[in-house]
Amino acid sequence: MIQMFQVSKVYPKHVEALLDITLHVQKGEFVFLCGPSGAGKTTLLRLMLRDDIPTSGQILVNGRNVIRLRENKLPPFRRTLGVIFQDFKLLMDRTVYDNLHLVARVLGIPDTISRRKIGRLLTEVGLLQKAHQIPYMLSGGEQQRVAIARALLSDPTILLADEPTGNLDPDLALDIMRLLADVNVRGTTVVVATHNPRLVSEMGRRALILKHGRLVEEIP
Amino acid sequence: MLWERFQHLLSEMLINFRRGGWGVVASIGAFTVAFLVTGIFLLLTLNLSIAVAQWAEDFQVVVFLHDGNTPDKLTLLRKRLDKELAVREVTYVSKSQALADFRKQLRDQESLLEGLKDNPLPASFQLRIHKKYQTADALRQLAASLKRVEGVEDVLYGQEWIERLTGIIQVMKILGIVIGGVLGVTSLFIVANTIRLAVYARAEEIEIMRLVGATRAYIQLPLILEGTLQGGAGAALALGILYALYRATLWQLGTSAPTIFSEPEMGQFLEAGYQMIMVGVGALLGGVGSLVAVRRFLRI
Repeated sequence: MIQMFQVSKVYPKHVEALLDITLHVQKGEFVFLCGPSGAGKTTLLRLMLRDDIPTSGQILVNGRNVIRLRENKLPPFRRTLGVIFQDFKLLMDRTVYDNLHLVARVLGIPDTISRRKIGRLLTEVGLLQKAHQIPYMLSGGEQQRVAIARALLSDPTILLADEPTGNLDPDLALDIMRLLADVNVRGTTVVVATHNPRLVSEMGRRALILKHGRLVEEIP
Repeated sequence: MLWERFQHLLSEMLINFRRGGWGVVASIGAFTVAFLVTGIFLLLTLNLSIAVAQWAEDFQVVVFLHDGNTPDKLTLLRKRLDKELAVREVTYVSKSQALADFRKQLRDQESLLEGLKDNPLPASFQLRIHKKYQTADALRQLAASLKRVEGVEDVLYGQEWIERLTGIIQVMKILGIVIGGVLGVTSLFIVANTIRLAVYARAEEIEIMRLVGATRAYIQLPLILEGTLQGGAGAALALGILYALYRATLWQLGTSAPTIFSEPEMGQFLEAGYQMIMVGVGALLGGVGSLVAVRRFLRI
Protein backbone atom coordinates (compact mmCIF):
# COMPACT_ATOMS: atom_id res chain seq x y z
CA MET A 1 0.00 0.00 0.00
CA ILE A 2 2.71 2.46 1.06
CA GLN A 3 6.32 1.56 0.43
CA MET A 4 9.38 3.72 0.97
CA PHE A 5 12.89 2.70 -0.03
CA GLN A 6 15.87 4.53 1.40
CA VAL A 7 14.06 7.82 1.37
CA SER A 8 15.95 10.95 2.41
CA LYS A 9 14.83 14.53 2.46
CA VAL A 10 17.41 17.26 2.83
CA TYR A 11 16.30 20.86 2.87
CA PRO A 12 18.61 23.68 1.77
CA LYS A 13 21.53 24.45 4.11
CA HIS A 14 21.90 20.75 4.85
CA VAL A 15 18.88 20.48 7.11
CA GLU A 16 18.31 16.74 7.12
CA ALA A 17 14.62 16.13 7.71
CA LEU A 18 14.62 12.42 6.84
CA LEU A 19 17.50 9.99 6.44
CA ASP A 20 17.40 6.61 4.76
CA ILE A 21 13.83 5.67 5.61
CA THR A 22 12.61 2.28 4.45
CA LEU A 23 9.14 1.25 5.50
CA HIS A 24 6.14 -0.71 4.39
CA VAL A 25 2.53 -0.13 5.37
CA GLN A 26 0.20 -2.99 4.52
CA LYS A 27 -3.23 -2.60 3.01
CA GLY A 28 -5.83 -2.18 5.77
CA GLU A 29 -3.21 -1.54 8.43
CA PHE A 30 -3.35 1.03 11.25
CA VAL A 31 0.14 2.43 11.84
CA PHE A 32 1.53 5.11 14.11
CA LEU A 33 4.42 7.37 13.18
CA CYS A 34 5.74 8.27 16.57
CA GLY A 35 8.46 10.64 17.71
CA PRO A 36 9.15 14.02 19.24
CA SER A 37 8.49 17.28 17.44
CA GLY A 38 10.94 17.81 14.62
CA ALA A 39 11.58 14.08 14.17
CA GLY A 40 10.31 14.23 10.58
CA LYS A 41 6.75 12.90 10.94
CA THR A 42 5.08 15.69 9.03
CA THR A 43 7.72 15.56 6.28
CA LEU A 44 7.07 11.84 5.91
CA LEU A 45 3.32 12.39 5.53
CA ARG A 46 3.89 15.19 3.04
CA LEU A 47 6.01 12.87 0.94
CA MET A 48 3.25 10.25 0.97
CA LEU A 49 0.76 12.89 -0.22
CA ARG A 50 3.31 14.01 -2.82
CA ASP A 51 3.11 17.51 -1.38
CA ASP A 52 6.88 17.37 -1.55
CA ILE A 53 9.41 15.06 -3.20
CA PRO A 54 12.34 13.34 -1.49
CA THR A 55 15.95 14.20 -2.19
CA SER A 56 16.64 10.53 -2.82
CA GLY A 57 14.87 7.18 -2.57
CA GLN A 58 11.63 5.79 -3.98
CA ILE A 59 8.04 6.00 -2.78
CA LEU A 60 5.15 3.82 -3.90
CA VAL A 61 1.63 4.68 -2.82
CA ASN A 62 -1.22 2.46 -4.01
CA GLY A 63 1.30 0.90 -6.37
CA ARG A 64 2.20 4.21 -7.96
CA ASN A 65 5.59 5.80 -8.04
CA VAL A 66 4.55 9.16 -6.62
CA ILE A 67 7.82 10.88 -7.43
CA ARG A 68 7.34 10.30 -11.13
CA LEU A 69 3.69 11.39 -11.03
CA ARG A 70 3.08 14.03 -13.64
CA GLU A 71 1.34 17.25 -12.68
CA ASN A 72 -1.94 16.34 -14.35
CA LYS A 73 -2.02 12.98 -12.55
CA LEU A 74 -1.45 14.61 -9.20
CA PRO A 75 -5.00 15.79 -8.42
CA PRO A 76 -6.61 12.41 -9.20
CA PHE A 77 -3.95 10.70 -7.07
CA ARG A 78 -4.63 12.96 -4.10
CA ARG A 79 -8.36 12.38 -4.42
CA THR A 80 -7.79 8.72 -3.52
CA LEU A 81 -6.32 9.80 -0.18
CA GLY A 82 -7.78 11.43 2.90
CA VAL A 83 -5.85 13.98 4.93
CA ILE A 84 -6.30 15.27 8.46
CA PHE A 85 -4.12 18.29 9.05
CA GLN A 86 -2.15 19.10 12.15
CA ASP A 87 -4.06 22.32 12.79
CA PHE A 88 -7.44 21.03 11.50
CA LYS A 89 -7.42 23.56 8.67
CA LEU A 90 -11.10 24.37 9.01
CA LEU A 91 -12.23 27.60 7.40
CA MET A 92 -13.73 29.91 9.98
CA ASP A 93 -15.68 32.02 7.52
CA ARG A 94 -18.23 29.33 6.76
CA THR A 95 -20.30 26.64 8.40
CA VAL A 96 -19.24 23.08 9.15
CA TYR A 97 -21.42 21.95 6.26
CA ASP A 98 -19.80 24.40 3.85
CA ASN A 99 -16.33 23.29 4.96
CA LEU A 100 -17.22 19.79 3.82
CA HIS A 101 -19.04 21.02 0.76
CA LEU A 102 -15.91 22.82 -0.47
CA VAL A 103 -14.03 19.53 -0.55
CA ALA A 104 -16.99 17.63 -2.02
CA ARG A 105 -16.94 20.07 -4.94
CA VAL A 106 -13.22 19.62 -5.45
CA LEU A 107 -13.82 15.88 -5.52
CA GLY A 108 -16.48 16.41 -8.18
CA ILE A 109 -19.33 14.95 -6.14
CA PRO A 110 -22.65 16.30 -7.48
CA ASP A 111 -24.55 18.44 -4.96
CA THR A 112 -27.49 16.06 -4.68
CA ILE A 113 -25.18 13.22 -3.66
CA SER A 114 -22.83 15.29 -1.53
CA ARG A 115 -25.73 16.58 0.56
CA ARG A 116 -26.60 13.05 1.66
CA LYS A 117 -22.99 12.05 2.05
CA ILE A 118 -22.09 15.04 4.22
CA GLY A 119 -25.15 14.31 6.37
CA ARG A 120 -24.11 10.70 6.79
CA LEU A 121 -20.49 11.52 7.67
CA LEU A 122 -21.49 14.21 10.18
CA THR A 123 -23.84 11.66 11.77
CA GLU A 124 -20.97 9.19 12.02
CA VAL A 125 -18.79 11.67 13.88
CA GLY A 126 -21.78 12.77 15.97
CA LEU A 127 -21.99 16.33 14.75
CA LEU A 128 -25.04 16.45 12.50
CA GLN A 129 -26.82 18.89 14.82
CA LYS A 130 -23.86 21.30 14.50
CA ALA A 131 -23.72 21.26 10.71
CA HIS A 132 -24.75 24.88 10.42
CA GLN A 133 -22.45 26.29 13.05
CA ILE A 134 -19.19 28.06 12.35
CA PRO A 135 -16.23 25.85 13.41
CA TYR A 136 -14.90 28.28 16.00
CA MET A 137 -18.06 27.76 18.04
CA LEU A 138 -17.07 24.10 18.34
CA SER A 139 -14.72 22.57 20.88
CA GLY A 140 -11.30 21.29 19.83
CA GLY A 141 -12.49 17.69 19.80
CA GLU A 142 -15.51 18.59 17.71
CA GLN A 143 -13.38 20.51 15.25
CA GLN A 144 -11.13 17.53 14.86
CA ARG A 145 -14.12 15.30 14.17
CA VAL A 146 -15.25 17.72 11.47
CA ALA A 147 -11.79 17.42 9.94
CA ILE A 148 -12.09 13.63 10.02
CA ALA A 149 -15.52 13.71 8.37
CA ARG A 150 -14.06 15.96 5.69
CA ALA A 151 -11.14 13.59 5.10
CA LEU A 152 -13.56 10.72 4.60
CA LEU A 153 -15.53 12.45 1.84
CA SER A 154 -13.32 10.91 -0.82
CA ASP A 155 -13.84 7.35 0.49
CA PRO A 156 -10.07 7.26 0.81
CA THR A 157 -8.04 4.09 0.46
CA ILE A 158 -5.46 5.66 2.75
CA LEU A 159 -6.12 8.15 5.55
CA LEU A 160 -3.13 10.28 6.59
CA ALA A 161 -3.54 12.03 9.95
CA ASP A 162 -0.96 14.52 11.23
CA GLU A 163 -1.17 14.91 15.04
CA PRO A 164 -4.94 14.52 15.03
CA THR A 165 -4.99 14.73 18.83
CA GLY A 166 -2.22 17.26 19.23
CA ASN A 167 -4.10 19.74 21.34
CA LEU A 168 -6.83 17.59 22.84
CA ASP A 169 -7.04 16.29 26.40
CA PRO A 170 -6.25 12.55 26.83
CA ASP A 171 -9.89 11.33 27.02
CA LEU A 172 -10.85 13.20 23.85
CA ALA A 173 -7.67 11.99 22.18
CA LEU A 174 -8.66 8.41 22.81
CA ASP A 175 -12.16 9.13 21.43
CA ILE A 176 -10.65 10.43 18.22
CA MET A 177 -8.39 7.38 17.98
CA ARG A 178 -11.38 5.07 18.34
CA LEU A 179 -13.09 6.95 15.56
CA LEU A 180 -10.04 6.43 13.35
CA ALA A 181 -9.96 2.77 14.36
CA ASP A 182 -13.60 2.49 13.19
CA VAL A 183 -12.61 3.93 9.86
CA ASN A 184 -9.77 1.42 9.71
CA VAL A 185 -12.11 -1.50 10.44
CA ARG A 186 -14.07 -0.64 7.32
CA GLY A 187 -10.96 -1.16 5.21
CA THR A 188 -9.16 2.15 5.03
CA THR A 189 -5.43 2.10 5.67
CA VAL A 190 -4.69 4.61 8.44
CA VAL A 191 -1.37 6.34 9.14
CA VAL A 192 -1.33 8.53 12.25
CA ALA A 193 1.55 10.79 13.20
CA THR A 194 1.76 11.55 16.93
CA HIS A 195 4.28 12.64 19.52
CA ASN A 196 2.33 10.91 22.28
CA PRO A 197 3.75 7.46 23.15
CA ARG A 198 0.92 6.80 25.65
CA LEU A 199 -1.60 6.93 22.87
CA VAL A 200 0.40 4.35 20.97
CA SER A 201 0.58 1.95 23.88
CA GLU A 202 -3.12 2.37 24.67
CA MET A 203 -4.13 1.64 21.09
CA GLY A 204 -1.77 -1.31 20.83
CA ARG A 205 -0.99 -0.90 17.12
CA ARG A 206 2.20 -1.08 15.16
CA ALA A 207 4.31 2.01 15.60
CA LEU A 208 7.32 3.34 13.71
CA ILE A 209 9.50 5.47 15.94
CA LEU A 210 11.30 8.40 14.33
CA LYS A 211 14.15 10.36 15.85
CA HIS A 212 16.17 13.09 14.13
CA GLY A 213 14.85 11.97 10.77
CA ARG A 214 15.80 8.30 11.23
CA LEU A 215 13.63 5.29 11.78
CA VAL A 216 15.03 4.03 15.08
CA GLU A 217 12.56 1.46 16.33
CA GLU A 218 9.49 -0.48 15.44
CA ILE A 219 6.80 -1.60 17.90
CA PRO A 220 5.96 -4.38 18.14
CA MET B 1 -22.17 18.95 -13.06
CA LEU B 2 -21.40 21.66 -15.60
CA TRP B 3 -24.00 23.90 -14.00
CA GLU B 4 -22.46 23.24 -10.60
CA ARG B 5 -19.04 24.14 -11.98
CA PHE B 6 -20.49 27.37 -13.27
CA GLN B 7 -22.16 28.11 -9.95
CA HIS B 8 -18.88 27.40 -8.22
CA LEU B 9 -17.05 29.83 -10.50
CA LEU B 10 -19.63 32.52 -9.96
CA SER B 11 -19.78 32.19 -6.20
CA GLU B 12 -15.99 32.07 -5.90
CA MET B 13 -15.73 35.23 -7.95
CA LEU B 14 -18.34 37.03 -5.87
CA ILE B 15 -16.53 36.00 -2.69
CA ASN B 16 -13.26 37.35 -4.07
CA PHE B 17 -14.91 40.58 -5.10
CA ARG B 18 -16.40 41.08 -1.65
CA ARG B 19 -13.19 40.25 0.16
CA GLY B 20 -11.06 42.22 -2.25
CA GLY B 21 -12.76 45.45 -1.14
CA TRP B 22 -10.62 48.46 -1.95
CA GLY B 23 -8.19 46.35 -3.92
CA VAL B 24 -10.94 45.53 -6.40
CA VAL B 25 -12.04 49.17 -6.48
CA ALA B 26 -8.43 50.22 -7.09
CA SER B 27 -7.85 47.85 -9.96
CA ILE B 28 -11.15 48.64 -11.65
CA GLY B 29 -10.36 52.32 -11.09
CA ALA B 30 -6.91 51.95 -12.64
CA PHE B 31 -8.40 50.39 -15.74
CA THR B 32 -11.05 53.09 -15.85
CA VAL B 33 -8.43 55.85 -15.78
CA ALA B 34 -6.26 54.13 -18.38
CA PHE B 35 -9.14 53.61 -20.78
CA LEU B 36 -10.63 57.03 -20.10
CA VAL B 37 -7.37 58.73 -21.09
CA THR B 38 -6.98 56.51 -24.14
CA GLY B 39 -10.61 57.06 -25.01
CA ILE B 40 -10.35 60.85 -24.76
CA PHE B 41 -7.41 60.83 -27.17
CA LEU B 42 -9.21 58.46 -29.50
CA LEU B 43 -12.37 60.53 -29.46
CA LEU B 44 -10.50 63.79 -30.02
CA THR B 45 -8.44 62.45 -32.90
CA LEU B 46 -11.48 60.81 -34.41
CA ASN B 47 -13.53 63.98 -34.35
CA LEU B 48 -10.66 66.17 -35.44
CA SER B 49 -9.98 63.85 -38.36
CA ILE B 50 -13.60 64.01 -39.38
CA ALA B 51 -13.66 67.79 -39.05
CA VAL B 52 -10.45 68.21 -41.01
CA ALA B 53 -11.68 65.88 -43.73
CA GLN B 54 -14.85 67.93 -43.88
CA TRP B 55 -12.95 71.21 -44.13
CA ALA B 56 -10.67 69.79 -46.72
CA GLU B 57 -13.72 68.83 -48.70
CA ASP B 58 -15.61 72.11 -48.22
CA PHE B 59 -12.99 74.83 -48.30
CA GLN B 60 -10.32 73.67 -50.56
CA VAL B 61 -9.78 76.91 -52.42
CA VAL B 62 -11.88 80.04 -52.16
CA VAL B 63 -11.51 82.77 -54.78
CA PHE B 64 -12.78 86.08 -53.40
CA LEU B 65 -13.95 88.60 -55.99
CA HIS B 66 -13.89 92.38 -56.20
CA ASP B 67 -17.23 94.04 -55.77
CA GLY B 68 -18.84 95.19 -58.95
CA ASN B 69 -18.01 92.43 -61.37
CA THR B 70 -20.54 92.38 -64.20
CA PRO B 71 -22.42 89.16 -64.98
CA ASP B 72 -20.45 88.84 -68.21
CA LYS B 73 -17.24 89.10 -66.33
CA LEU B 74 -18.43 86.49 -63.88
CA THR B 75 -19.18 84.09 -66.74
CA LEU B 76 -15.71 84.67 -68.10
CA LEU B 77 -14.14 84.11 -64.74
CA ARG B 78 -16.06 80.91 -64.34
CA LYS B 79 -14.86 79.65 -67.70
CA ARG B 80 -11.33 80.51 -66.73
CA LEU B 81 -11.68 78.49 -63.51
CA ASP B 82 -13.34 75.55 -65.28
CA LYS B 83 -10.32 75.30 -67.56
CA GLU B 84 -7.96 74.70 -64.66
CA LEU B 85 -6.97 71.02 -64.61
CA ALA B 86 -6.90 70.89 -60.82
CA VAL B 87 -10.46 72.15 -60.41
CA ARG B 88 -13.14 69.53 -60.09
CA GLU B 89 -16.15 71.71 -59.26
CA VAL B 90 -16.91 75.40 -59.08
CA THR B 91 -19.61 76.91 -56.91
CA TYR B 92 -20.55 80.60 -56.99
CA VAL B 93 -21.47 82.29 -53.73
CA SER B 94 -22.96 85.74 -54.17
CA LYS B 95 -22.58 88.57 -51.66
CA SER B 96 -26.10 88.11 -50.33
CA GLN B 97 -25.65 84.36 -50.16
CA ALA B 98 -22.46 84.85 -48.16
CA LEU B 99 -24.24 87.13 -45.72
CA ALA B 100 -27.13 84.70 -45.34
CA ASP B 101 -24.67 81.87 -44.61
CA PHE B 102 -22.89 83.99 -42.06
CA ARG B 103 -26.19 84.90 -40.43
CA LYS B 104 -27.03 81.21 -40.20
CA GLN B 105 -23.74 80.44 -38.49
CA LEU B 106 -24.26 83.20 -35.97
CA ARG B 107 -27.69 81.88 -35.10
CA ASP B 108 -28.94 83.62 -31.96
CA GLN B 109 -26.38 86.38 -32.16
CA GLU B 110 -27.66 87.89 -35.38
CA SER B 111 -28.00 91.20 -33.57
CA LEU B 112 -24.26 91.59 -34.09
CA LEU B 113 -25.01 92.25 -37.74
CA GLU B 114 -27.66 94.88 -37.13
CA GLY B 115 -25.31 97.84 -37.27
CA LEU B 116 -24.18 97.00 -40.77
CA LYS B 117 -25.29 99.31 -43.55
CA ASP B 118 -23.62 97.61 -46.49
CA ASN B 119 -22.92 94.00 -46.95
CA PRO B 120 -19.17 93.73 -46.20
CA LEU B 121 -18.79 90.20 -47.45
CA PRO B 122 -17.35 89.61 -50.91
CA ALA B 123 -18.78 87.29 -53.51
CA SER B 124 -16.65 84.21 -54.14
CA PHE B 125 -16.07 81.08 -56.14
CA GLN B 126 -15.54 77.98 -54.08
CA LEU B 127 -13.41 75.39 -55.80
CA ARG B 128 -13.18 71.71 -55.22
CA ILE B 129 -9.90 70.20 -56.18
CA HIS B 130 -9.09 66.83 -57.72
CA LYS B 131 -7.47 64.45 -55.30
CA LYS B 132 -4.12 64.35 -57.03
CA TYR B 133 -3.76 68.16 -56.88
CA GLN B 134 -4.44 68.33 -53.19
CA THR B 135 -0.88 69.04 -52.14
CA ALA B 136 0.47 72.21 -50.61
CA ASP B 137 2.73 72.88 -53.61
CA ALA B 138 0.12 72.40 -56.27
CA LEU B 139 -2.37 74.55 -54.41
CA ARG B 140 0.17 77.31 -53.84
CA GLN B 141 0.83 77.48 -57.58
CA LEU B 142 -2.84 77.44 -58.39
CA ALA B 143 -3.54 80.22 -55.89
CA ALA B 144 -0.68 82.34 -57.23
CA SER B 145 -1.88 82.05 -60.80
CA LEU B 146 -5.50 82.74 -59.90
CA LYS B 147 -4.54 85.78 -57.86
CA ARG B 148 -3.28 87.45 -61.04
CA VAL B 149 -6.60 87.10 -62.82
CA GLU B 150 -8.53 90.31 -63.19
CA GLY B 151 -11.50 90.71 -60.86
CA VAL B 152 -10.02 88.46 -58.22
CA GLU B 153 -9.34 90.08 -54.91
CA ASP B 154 -7.74 87.24 -53.00
CA VAL B 155 -7.34 83.47 -53.01
CA LEU B 156 -7.49 81.45 -49.84
CA TYR B 157 -6.60 77.85 -49.48
CA GLY B 158 -6.45 75.85 -46.31
CA GLN B 159 -4.08 73.14 -47.45
CA GLU B 160 -1.13 74.11 -45.33
CA TRP B 161 -3.42 74.44 -42.39
CA ILE B 162 -4.98 71.09 -43.06
CA GLU B 163 -1.60 69.45 -43.35
CA ARG B 164 -0.51 70.97 -40.07
CA LEU B 165 -3.69 69.77 -38.39
CA THR B 166 -3.21 66.31 -39.84
CA GLY B 167 0.28 66.35 -38.34
CA ILE B 168 -1.11 67.34 -34.97
CA ILE B 169 -3.67 64.57 -35.19
CA GLN B 170 -0.90 62.06 -35.89
CA VAL B 171 1.05 63.26 -32.87
CA MET B 172 -2.07 63.06 -30.71
CA LYS B 173 -2.76 59.54 -31.90
CA ILE B 174 0.73 58.40 -30.98
CA LEU B 175 0.59 60.26 -27.70
CA GLY B 176 -2.73 58.62 -26.90
CA ILE B 177 -1.40 55.18 -27.68
CA VAL B 178 1.77 55.71 -25.62
CA ILE B 179 0.03 57.21 -22.59
CA GLY B 180 -2.78 54.67 -22.81
CA GLY B 181 -0.24 51.88 -23.13
CA VAL B 182 1.72 53.01 -20.09
CA LEU B 183 -1.45 53.35 -18.04
CA GLY B 184 -2.67 50.00 -19.35
CA VAL B 185 0.50 48.26 -18.20
CA THR B 186 0.21 50.01 -14.84
CA SER B 187 -3.34 48.69 -14.52
CA LEU B 188 -2.05 45.25 -15.33
CA PHE B 189 0.29 45.42 -12.35
CA ILE B 190 -2.44 46.76 -10.10
CA VAL B 191 -4.81 43.96 -11.03
CA ALA B 192 -1.96 41.45 -10.57
CA ASN B 193 -1.47 42.84 -7.08
CA THR B 194 -5.18 42.63 -6.29
CA ILE B 195 -5.26 39.03 -7.38
CA ARG B 196 -2.11 38.33 -5.39
CA LEU B 197 -3.87 39.69 -2.32
CA ALA B 198 -6.89 37.54 -3.14
CA VAL B 199 -4.57 34.53 -3.30
CA TYR B 200 -3.07 35.44 0.08
CA ALA B 201 -6.47 36.08 1.65
CA ARG B 202 -7.57 32.62 0.58
CA ALA B 203 -4.26 30.90 1.15
CA GLU B 204 -5.69 28.37 3.58
CA GLU B 205 -8.66 27.52 1.41
CA ILE B 206 -6.43 27.13 -1.62
CA GLU B 207 -4.05 24.95 0.41
CA ILE B 208 -6.91 22.68 1.41
CA MET B 209 -8.23 22.44 -2.13
CA ARG B 210 -4.77 21.69 -3.43
CA LEU B 211 -4.13 18.89 -0.96
CA VAL B 212 -7.47 17.18 -1.45
CA GLY B 213 -6.87 17.02 -5.18
CA ALA B 214 -8.12 20.18 -6.88
CA THR B 215 -6.69 20.69 -10.35
CA ARG B 216 -4.73 23.78 -11.23
CA ALA B 217 -7.55 25.05 -13.40
CA TYR B 218 -10.12 24.52 -10.66
CA ILE B 219 -8.20 26.82 -8.33
CA GLN B 220 -6.95 29.32 -10.89
CA LEU B 221 -9.92 29.83 -13.16
CA PRO B 222 -12.06 31.86 -10.72
CA LEU B 223 -9.10 34.13 -9.97
CA ILE B 224 -8.23 34.64 -13.63
CA LEU B 225 -11.86 35.27 -14.53
CA GLU B 226 -12.04 37.78 -11.73
CA GLY B 227 -9.13 39.73 -13.18
CA THR B 228 -10.73 39.54 -16.61
CA LEU B 229 -13.95 40.88 -15.19
CA GLN B 230 -12.17 43.71 -13.38
CA GLY B 231 -10.38 44.77 -16.57
CA GLY B 232 -13.54 44.58 -18.66
CA ALA B 233 -15.56 46.43 -16.04
CA GLY B 234 -12.92 49.17 -15.85
CA ALA B 235 -12.96 49.63 -19.61
CA ALA B 236 -16.77 49.62 -19.73
CA LEU B 237 -16.93 52.17 -16.93
CA ALA B 238 -14.44 54.34 -18.81
CA LEU B 239 -16.67 54.18 -21.90
CA GLY B 240 -19.66 55.24 -19.82
CA ILE B 241 -17.81 58.23 -18.38
CA LEU B 242 -16.41 59.07 -21.80
CA TYR B 243 -19.89 59.09 -23.30
CA ALA B 244 -21.17 61.37 -20.53
CA LEU B 245 -18.22 63.72 -21.09
CA TYR B 246 -18.86 63.65 -24.80
CA ARG B 247 -22.54 64.53 -24.43
CA ALA B 248 -21.70 67.28 -21.95
CA THR B 249 -19.09 68.74 -24.30
CA LEU B 250 -21.48 68.73 -27.25
CA TRP B 251 -24.11 70.39 -25.13
CA GLN B 252 -21.65 73.05 -23.96
CA LEU B 253 -20.51 73.80 -27.49
CA GLY B 254 -24.07 73.77 -28.74
CA THR B 255 -25.26 76.39 -26.29
CA SER B 256 -22.29 78.70 -26.04
CA ALA B 257 -20.38 78.70 -29.28
CA PRO B 258 -21.95 79.40 -32.65
CA THR B 259 -19.45 77.24 -34.49
CA ILE B 260 -19.61 74.37 -36.85
CA PHE B 261 -19.34 72.09 -33.79
CA SER B 262 -22.90 72.99 -32.93
CA GLU B 263 -24.13 71.08 -35.91
CA PRO B 264 -25.46 67.91 -34.34
CA GLU B 265 -24.00 65.69 -37.04
CA MET B 266 -20.52 67.05 -36.43
CA GLY B 267 -19.79 65.13 -33.24
CA GLN B 268 -19.26 61.42 -33.37
CA PHE B 269 -18.76 58.93 -30.58
CA LEU B 270 -16.55 55.86 -30.85
CA GLU B 271 -18.05 53.19 -33.05
CA ALA B 272 -19.48 50.04 -31.50
CA GLY B 273 -16.50 48.12 -32.86
CA TYR B 274 -14.04 50.41 -31.06
CA GLN B 275 -16.06 50.11 -27.87
CA MET B 276 -16.00 46.35 -28.02
CA ILE B 277 -12.28 46.35 -28.70
CA MET B 278 -11.70 48.58 -25.67
CA VAL B 279 -13.69 46.34 -23.35
CA GLY B 280 -11.99 43.32 -24.89
CA VAL B 281 -8.51 44.76 -24.39
CA GLY B 282 -9.43 45.66 -20.80
CA ALA B 283 -10.59 42.12 -20.15
CA LEU B 284 -7.46 40.72 -21.78
CA LEU B 285 -5.13 42.91 -19.71
CA GLY B 286 -7.01 42.00 -16.54
CA GLY B 287 -6.79 38.31 -17.40
CA VAL B 288 -3.07 38.50 -18.16
CA GLY B 289 -2.46 40.40 -14.92
CA SER B 290 -4.19 37.79 -12.80
CA LEU B 291 -2.57 34.96 -14.73
CA VAL B 292 0.83 36.44 -13.85
CA ALA B 293 -0.17 36.72 -10.19
CA VAL B 294 -1.64 33.24 -10.04
CA ARG B 295 1.36 31.67 -11.76
CA ARG B 296 3.75 33.30 -9.35
CA PHE B 297 1.87 32.73 -6.12
CA LEU B 298 0.18 29.38 -6.58
CA ARG B 299 1.83 26.04 -6.59
CA ILE B 300 0.21 22.71 -7.06
